Amino acid sequence: MLYAATNIPYPQWLNSGDNSWQMISATLVGLMSLPGLAVLYGGLVRKKWIVNTMLMVFTGFSLTLLVWMLWGYNMAFGELSHFGPTGSFWSGFIGHFKPLTSAGAVQGQAVSGANSLVPYHFPTATLAYFQFAFAAITPLLFLGGLVGRLKFKAWLLIVPLWITMVYCVNAALLWGGGFFSQKGAVDFAGGYVIHLSAGVAAFVGAAIVGPRRWQDRENAFPSNLMMVAIGAGILWMGWNGFNGGGPFYAGVDAASAVLNTNVAAACGVLTWLVMDMMFSRQKKATFLGALNGMLCGLVAITPSAGWVNGTGAILVGLISASIVWVAWNFLSKVRPFNKVDDAMGVIYTHGVAGLVGGLLVGILADPGMVTYGVSGSNYKGEGSFRVAGWFYGHSFHQLWEQFLAALWIIGYTAVGTTVVFTLVKWLVSGLRESDEDLRDGDIAIHEEEAFPEPTFGEPVSSPSHLHPDNV
Amino acid sequence: MKLVTAVVKPFKLDEVKVAVKAAGVTGMTVTQARGFGHTGGHIEIYRGKEYEFDFVDKIRVECVCTDELVDAVIEAIVNAARTDTVGDGVAWVTDIEHVVRIRTNERGPAAL
Repeated sequence: MLYAATNIPYPQWLNSGDNSWQMISATLVGLMSLPGLAVLYGGLVRKKWIVNTMLMVFTGFSLTLLVWMLWGYNMAFGELSHFGPTGSFWSGFIGHFKPLTSAGAVQGQAVSGANSLVPYHFPTATLAYFQFAFAAITPLLFLGGLVGRLKFKAWLLIVPLWITMVYCVNAALLWGGGFFSQKGAVDFAGGYVIHLSAGVAAFVGAAIVGPRRWQDRENAFPSNLMMVAIGAGILWMGWNGFNGGGPFYAGVDAASAVLNTNVAAACGVLTWLVMDMMFSRQKKATFLGALNGMLCGLVAITPSAGWVNGTGAILVGLISASIVWVAWNFLSKVRPFNKVDDAMGVIYTHGVAGLVGGLLVGILADPGMVTYGVSGSNYKGEGSFRVAGWFYGHSFHQLWEQFLAALWIIGYTAVGTTVVFTLVKWLVSGLRESDEDLRDGDIAIHEEEAFPEPTFGEPVSSPSHLHPDNV
Repeated sequence: MKLVTAVVKPFKLDEVKVAVKAAGVTGMTVTQARGFGHTGGHIEIYRGKEYEFDFVDKIRVECVCTDELVDAVIEAIVNAARTDTVGDGVAWVTDIEHVVRIRTNERGPAAL
């Protein structure tokens, strides 16, 4: 038979709309880290810590991608290892420790335990990059609790170890088709796996690393609020990919998730502002307060973005920002919270907000919001995938599952983070830079500074032959 | 010759400049400065935490003038920079031994 080859751009199983949206979503999530968190943190820390902080963001991102390709993706989202009998905890604990590097693996149709209902319409490369962007932002979020004293070398070890031992396990359990997802706990786009976990890791990590110098804590004013505005704006808009990519199809639920995400963020901003203006000691509306509210709304809507209706999204923003405001202002005054120097308050804006959002799924999820429908006359009919909270399902079942999953995330992340930090402390003999380096910051640690002005005017006499540019 | 130095509120700089010019001074140097006087500092709030800023933004104005002009210049600065609230700043006068105009090498009052 003669070959009459007709070239086609992609295999039959691929849908260009789904693939495009998934890759755009992944990129939006990536932008939240680079440059989003880099400039947000850079603007929030003191001038002498800008370079160190931004470098940790960029290196953390790079390290996670390498780990992801070599074993992380398959541990979290590959086939489960089944260490125990089917249905048991150990059966749905973790995937296989193997790389994702062959052409066949990368270009094949994406398959994941996270969704066994509808086949994915994009390749594994897309799914792996999308899930990588989520994995990468998690250590960068808990970095917020550790800036201003963590040893740079320690960070380079903490990221790969934490991703492997903590993130991959939580992701497999809730998203990779593991135990908690089998039980019925849900996390739309990472309220638990990412934010609650990052909040706990920041707190436990900060406790182990120890506080910043007292001089730095006393003078912890931000270096540049305009940079903070850029970073926070990128976070908000990037969240359209974070939650909008959650359904894995460029469909109805992706659109709802994007809309809900923005509604919750706006409500969070306004709630925090009003609380500040009415109940804070100074009664002032502050920009950084508004951004805290924005984060609360964004984080809290993450576990429920495509499962709550418009009213639900408003309530999520309102409730999460109120609760976190109270926690930020009062919980921070009592033990153990007043004993740990969580530099940016990650335990509140990510930990508490993620927990509140995850539990609110069990209350506010509307079964009228369908993630995956059924073919035939009734799209929302029997067999469609949706979630019912207490308001609509009149049962506490979902709330209970959410509660159990939260307990696991908090407990396991705390233990896992302790193990990782203790191990690294031993490996690089100490988790803190030396006292002198802490006093001088960027210049001492990297021999760079954020706004260098090494000399006034022009160099004198003749060009120095010692300078590498003068050949 | 005298050097008149004044530390004034930043938003008063333009008025001071106009007044000093009108008094007959030919040149003036300004520096952004921070300082405290009887007012002390102020509070700023970041992420719910209060930070005490001991030094308040000021502008430091310097001009050199002849001995005859000093009283008029001081008068001009005082009138222009005063808001009748705390923190209006201070001005002082110092003797100058010698002035040289760099381009022409002129000395003394001619250099101004």
